[in-house]
Amino acid sequence: MDREETVRLRAVRRLYGTAAHTVRALDGVTASFHAGTLTAIMGPSGSGKSTLLHCAAGLDRPTGGTVAIDGTDLGSLSENGLTLLRRERVGFVFQAFNLVSALTAEQNVALPLRLAGRAAPSGLVRAALAEVGLADRAGHRPSGLSGGEQQRVAIARALITRPAVVFADEPTGQLDTRVSRQILGMLRGLVDDRGQTMIMVTHDPVTASYADRVLFLADGRVVDELTGTVTAEIVAARMAVLEAAPC
Amino acid sequence: MLTFATLRERWPSFAGGFVVLFLGMAMVSMSVLALASAGARVPERLAGTPVFVSVPMAERGDGDFAPDRPWSPETVASLRERLDAIPGVAQAVPDRTFYAQPVIGGRPVAGDRGYAWSAAMLAPYPLTAGAAPREGEVALDRSLGLAPGERVSVLTVHGPVTYPVSGTVDGPGVYLNDAEAARLSAGVRAIGLVTEPGADVAAVAAAARAVAGGVVLTGEGRGALETREDERTRWIGLQVLTAMAALSAFVSVLVVGSTFAVGVAQRRREFGLLRAVGATPRQVRRMVYGEALAVGVTATAGGVAAGALLGPVLGDLLVTVGFQPPGFAVRWSPLPLAGSFAVGVVVTLAGVWSASRRAARVRPLEALREAEVDDRPMPRGRWIAGVACCALGLAAAAGAGRSDGSDAFVVSGLVAAMGVIAGLALLSPAVVPPVARLVSWPLARGRGATGMLVRENALTAVRRTAATATPVLITVGCAVLITGMVQTTAAAFAEVRATTIRADAVIVPDGTPGLTDAAASAAGAESSLFSGLFEPDGGVLSAIGATPELLERAGDVQMVSGSLDALRSEDRVLVAQWLAEDRGLRPGSTLPVSFEDGTSATPTVAGVVREADADVLLSRELLRRHDPVALAEEAYVAGAAGPPGPGARVMDVPTYAAEADAEEDRLVWIATVLLVVVSTAYAGVAIVNTMAMSAAGRVRDLAVLRLSGATVRQVLATVAAESVLVVLLGGGLGLVVALPALLGMRRAFATAMRADVPLVVPWPLILGVIAACLALAACAAVLAARPAVRRAAPAGAAETRWRRGPRSG
Repeated sequence: MDREETVRLRAVRRLYGTAAHTVRALDGVTASFHAGTLTAIMGPSGSGKSTLLHCAAGLDRPTGGTVAIDGTDLGSLSENGLTLLRRERVGFVFQAFNLVSALTAEQNVALPLRLAGRAAPSGLVRAALAEVGLADRAGHRPSGLSGGEQQRVAIARALITRPAVVFADEPTGQLDTRVSRQILGMLRGLVDDRGQTMIMVTHDPVTASYADRVLFLADGRVVDELTGTVTAEIVAARMAVLEAAPC
Repeated sequence: MLTFATLRERWPSFAGGFVVLFLGMAMVSMSVLALASAGARVPERLAGTPVFVSVPMAERGDGDFAPDRPWSPETVASLRERLDAIPGVAQAVPDRTFYAQPVIGGRPVAGDRGYAWSAAMLAPYPLTAGAAPREGEVALDRSLGLAPGERVSVLTVHGPVTYPVSGTVDGPGVYLNDAEAARLSAGVRAIGLVTEPGADVAAVAAAARAVAGGVVLTGEGRGALETREDERTRWIGLQVLTAMAALSAFVSVLVVGSTFAVGVAQRRREFGLLRAVGATPRQVRRMVYGEALAVGVTATAGGVAAGALLGPVLGDLLVTVGFQPPGFAVRWSPLPLAGSFAVGVVVTLAGVWSASRRAARVRPLEALREAEVDDRPMPRGRWIAGVACCALGLAAAAGAGRSDGSDAFVVSGLVAAMGVIAGLALLSPAVVPPVARLVSWPLARGRGATGMLVRENALTAVRRTAATATPVLITVGCAVLITGMVQTTAAAFAEVRATTIRADAVIVPDGTPGLTDAAASAAGAESSLFSGLFEPDGGVLSAIGATPELLERAGDVQMVSGSLDALRSEDRVLVAQWLAEDRGLRPGSTLPVSFEDGTSATPTVAGVVREADADVLLSRELLRRHDPVALAEEAYVAGAAGPPGPGARVMDVPTYAAEADAEEDRLVWIATVLLVVVSTAYAGVAIVNTMAMSAAGRVRDLAVLRLSGATVRQVLATVAAESVLVVLLGGGLGLVVALPALLGMRRAFATAMRADVPLVVPWPLILGVIAACLALAACAAVLAARPAVRRAAPAGAAETRWRRGPRSG
């Protein structure tokens, strides 16, 4: 664990709602995510895991505390600056609605490059699609792709800018077990082979078992952490404890 | 890349904007082409003469058709002499015109212009048979079917005269011997220079310019010689065409705006996704602009092309209806078409402005959000703009209500309509939902599922409800306001006439432009003459020539000083109060003026009147002697009226009061109905557009309904009933908004005119508008929902979740 920190959260708080009725989604989270690791964030519903992801990725601004990606403090950036940082340094894979329905797979993958005003060489884009096993589906639109294929296009798009970190929010939530395994194997491979940093939110112990490290959240705080050998059984046991805890 | 891919994928959601832009720009380009073609044209009967010298033309305000001061007879004689002397001029021909309408088979024919025989060479109209008319003879248009030697009765200003036909010509009009024509004609305002063959026209024109006393007109400049009637008709046409073009452009902005607003709302998730993967707000905004431009440019190009093709048809229609003088034709020219195209592009950009800003404000997190809750309050700017527009519109409506119908009525009515339209469209998201909740309350009480579904759907789909109700509200509101305003105004004037005329019967023209002296004095009837007096500085005063008895009976003259009896004397006049104050006139002052025949006089002011229909009142005989062309508009009869002779008929007073301004009212009414029909058509497009666009978002809802056990028929009935509810809501709101404004106007009229003014609203037209909206909305809703309902197999719900981002809104 002496590798450099790609993403660092310090005392991050995020409150929602009005003064009269405040929800503490995050209540002082401090965490570091190191380069070349796959971290899973777990927790019961409402534990703040999605909010953590959004704040860490610069999609949402924390109420207090700091977030830094690659050494850049997100709090110091304007909305435009945040967008540019996301475009250059961050990739996303969401649970669903990942692709622009009007564009083909190839066009969806090229989108971040084109938005940045960079050239999107066809060879590069096709290579990215080939890497996720979709070389032959480049010309299809999302409506002609299966759920698993759509997620693979989303992964190819997330990687096309060579981002410092990829955030994934329940990336297999809509997929069946067999396809889920393929996708997760692919993500794991990217971390192992390319040293890609990845942070993934999930509620599924099997999914979490692909990670190097698991952070457990409850009521907006980090309550537990699992490193070393992560198996689905151990994760499930910890989760059971968390979910049984009185609120 | 993204722009065109999006258009290809989502063309149905752009179809509404496309159709409206296409129609709107076809309308705009047609109107603009017609406007560009509607300049003054050289009258056909003067076309063969290259150079004219005309009286100096005074600058006149918009909508002022007062004639220019004619030359005096002496000036005409001296001008003629000097112009005749110009080398290359064969003859200088004064253009004398007068009233002459042949009566054939007991009916006056359509043409009513008479000319001096020498004026026939201005066209030229050569003789086709017979000879030139001598004193007491007539030559006329051969299309009337009379041969030389036959006799024809011709109505002149004095009454019917029977002439032997000396010859026929190949052109319209009645031609009298020059000397006889001079006695019947008004003053000369133009002299044509008929040139010798091979003469240098430019040299002739230059020489004519050297002869002081007139303006030299050549080429297209001779268009200034058109008649005042044609000029007035063209002016009315201009107003109508401008109104149509402005309305079309305006509605296009609104519908394009709402099309893209709905489109952006449906695609929030997509924009959120784009923002998440690195699109800046600026890029999103540019993308929306790009889509709009691609649609706008195509639709505008198509619309302008269609407008260019249909332009000539519109031209014919305008002539038929009476908005353009006969002979008007639409000519193609590139500039108006290019201008229309530019308008289309600007309209598109203006319409999409707000939607693009909204798209750019979508935050990246919205790509992840499950439910799209559409309950943001209306921005304050929109509130302010909406209320301001409503206020402006109502103020303009009040202004239009005060106008006397002759000034720029169409324009101020339009401003009223636009203000209310814009205001209500802006406020609709705030106004429509609470009203919908209120009026649909009974539906929640029933036992069936449909009533409940209809109410809840209408309440939750705020955007769809507002987007459907708004165009109906706009159309019905404007239709009631404008048509009610026009008809109430007309009724008010009729009412005032009916209460002020003290006569047993009225003689009115029948197939003629006015009454001859013979008809106007039949059975002891009395009439006044309307004419113009020219002040030395070129100003024009309106004048009425009448007897004291007649003014007494008409009952609308109030004396400030002096008495009506002054009009028995030929050198005395009465002046209106404003004129007396403006020129410092008091009894005993003199008023130097010249008359329609060009002669001058200096009558003495004998009194001042408060409310008169003209600036100056003088004796009828005096006016007749100096204005040989004025025709009486009507004549009042005390006691029983006998037959007034050809070209006139007798009416009772109530009928006359109701019909007096029939021709003017007819044109205004046609223009009004045209506006209502066009706005209903646009509302229809907007409704169909909303239904088609929201159909995609409803697929999941409808599938769930089917899964819950609803039959296809039940689902479609719900959809149709919901659209009916929303249309009725919009129509009701429109009425509620328009009626108080109308009632206020009616009260203002009643106070101003001291008469009981009825509120007239053309209900069949209004109900027709509502029915059209109802039918369109129900059909569009059912047709748009049917494919979704049919294919809503149990898998539908899950499947669509994957295929399409947007949810029901």
